[in-house]
Amino acid sequence: MSLQHLKVSFFLAVRGLLRGSRGSLYLSILIIAMVFTNMIFMSSIIMGAIKNSEQSIIEYQTGNILVGPKENEQYIEDISGLLDKLNRIPGVIRASAHYSLGATLKNEGNRVGGTVIAVKPDDERMVTGTWKKMIEGEYLSDGETGEVIIGIQTSGHKDENDDMGPTLGYVRTGDPVTIEYTNGVTREYRVKGIFETRSYQADMEIFVTWNEMESVLGHPITDSTGVIIRTSPDLPEAQVKQTILRFGVQEEVKTWQDLLEEAFGRAIESFSIINSVTVIVSLVIAIVVLFIVIMIKTLNNRRQIGVLKALGVDKSIIINNYLFQVLLLTAAGTILGICIVEGMVGLLTVFPIVFPDGDVTPYVTPGDLISNTILLFIAAAIAGYIPAWRVASEDIMTAMRS
Amino acid sequence: MIEVIDLCKVYSMGKVSVDALQGVTLSIKKGEFVGIMGASGSGKSTLLHMIGLLDKPTSGKILIGGEDISTLSDHKKTLFRLKRLGYVFQDYALMPELTVEENVYLTSMVRGTSENEYLSQTKEILTRIGLAERSDALQSELSGGQQQRVSIARAVVNRPEILFADEPCANLDTVSSQNILDLFRKINHELHQTIVMVSHEEWHMEYFDRVIILRDGRVISDGPPVIRDHCIIRSPE
Ligand SMILES: Nc1ncnc2c1ncn2[C@@H]1O[C@H](COP(=O)(O)OP(=O)(O)OP(=O)(O)O)[C@@H](O)[C@H]1O
Ligand SMILES: [Mg+2]
Repeated sequence: MSLQHLKVSFFLAVRGLLRGSRGSLYLSILIIAMVFTNMIFMSSIIMGAIKNSEQSIIEYQTGNILVGPKENEQYIEDISGLLDKLNRIPGVIRASAHYSLGATLKNEGNRVGGTVIAVKPDDERMVTGTWKKMIEGEYLSDGETGEVIIGIQTSGHKDENDDMGPTLGYVRTGDPVTIEYTNGVTREYRVKGIFETRSYQADMEIFVTWNEMESVLGHPITDSTGVIIRTSPDLPEAQVKQTILRFGVQEEVKTWQDLLEEAFGRAIESFSIINSVTVIVSLVIAIVVLFIVIMIKTLNNRRQIGVLKALGVDKSIIINNYLFQVLLLTAAGTILGICIVEGMVGLLTVFPIVFPDGDVTPYVTPGDLISNTILLFIAAAIAGYIPAWRVASEDIMTAMRS
Repeated sequence: MIEVIDLCKVYSMGKVSVDALQGVTLSIKKGEFVGIMGASGSGKSTLLHMIGLLDKPTSGKILIGGEDISTLSDHKKTLFRLKRLGYVFQDYALMPELTVEENVYLTSMVRGTSENEYLSQTKEILTRIGLAERSDALQSELSGGQQQRVSIARAVVNRPEILFADEPCANLDTVSSQNILDLFRKINHELHQTIVMVSHEEWHMEYFDRVIILRDGRVISDGPPVIRDHCIIRSPE
């Protein structure tokens, strides 16, 4: 196969496409673009949803790294010593201690079970972004007592159809709420604020200050149920975790990736199966469509192919002519497909899809685009080669008589 | 130039078989303009396909320029057709997606002729056949006679050793047919082009140097054109 031969094949392919039927040209390109979109779109939405919940979990619940009690223990002891140590570790922006206690919340006949989390607001603000998500009232302040802030999935929406579980029935800032703690203490609170992060799990949480919890327990708190840590965005969490362990922290240290792997490992595995199935189905569709397009072309051109062979045009030139046609169609289809995908991503960034776990925008990496493009080209080459080879291998007289 | 020795061709379709050629022996000299004539079904096209390397004989030998073509591989035959033979078909067989000039220089591209060279050769041949102005036209924009002239230009642009034509005027009216036959004769005279043409129109005879008449796959007459008994040439309806 000489360069000269490839040049002739390309020449024939370009002429064949441009001077052939316009309708079938545009339709083929459109179908390939649709197949390409199909290969990428569904998985980009699922990836978007996954990225979104990851972000929410980091931003509103676990921070980048979570430190929990040692195995078989309920509390981290000497919490102030641990916080001092953690806050000195390079890569740690801030560590914030949590103390959780089970409770039942009541308001005008509505009862909701939950966990009240005590935080030191100044620390917590540096680790989570919940303080930025107050839809009414204010976030907690250090040292105050008698105040509680509640997530919207616990406080309840104005329209109860928006509630996804039991709530207090649309309590608002300033409303009274009774909390019965599992240690037997019952307290009356005024709601200081309501927050909405748009992440369902985070929006069920209930926060009070550390001082308030000390007053509920009746003694100063020296231990903790967990510490969440914000790390520097320049360092991978796994690296900071190693540093923490090297500093001699004995407690259980987990990055958010560790946590997600435990919680969602299965889900991500099933997702990648769904994704592969989508890609394979799209590829099969692409192969079949291109196969049919080229088969119709070659069958319609049987006599022409016979004539070319009679004139002494090598079989490989004829096959490569159709191969180039398929590849050019695929190139045009892929470019259109990328435009469609990018257009949809743009549109869905402005108008996101509303999911229970927040607004989802499709997540497409250049890697996805490249790998799917390569797959599509391989599929196209196979789909173009087979029918072209079959017709080009026909006996000259049989082809010419058709 | 061409030696055909005891050539036979049997077409078999299942149990039925047709003896299309039954021992044809002939030779054609360089520069001759030979007409192959005979009734429909007498084997003219079959003979042309065999000596044009488009189909394989059942038995017998064909030598072109002394070379036994039955020994050539398919690939060698393709190259042989590309470099040494030219064809004109009854239905012109132009590529509909190519312009007039692209049709003409396509095989030159395959042969690896330089662009400058094939463009000037194409221009020259199109001028010679009077279609230089239509070089950018597509097949669909040409009359039958014009299309056949393009097909002749395509066949001769590479200066083949032998030009084969199977009823090139069958789809044309009398005036166009005369133009085409004049063109063939001109090419034969000016370029000393060897031409083997199949025809069953009696009046074409006057253009040929020599006429070979087939009946039922056998040569029944071979010599300079003379006005013969009509029944030999016409199909016996
Ligand atoms: N592919 C084929 N399969 C079977 N029989 C064939 C085939 N091609 C030709 N024949 C038969 O061989 C014989 C000679 O056919 P051929 O086409 O050579 O005749 P011809 O002289 O060119 O006729 P025409 O003037 O009609 O073109 C005929 O009987 C024809 O039916
Ligand atoms: Mg015939």
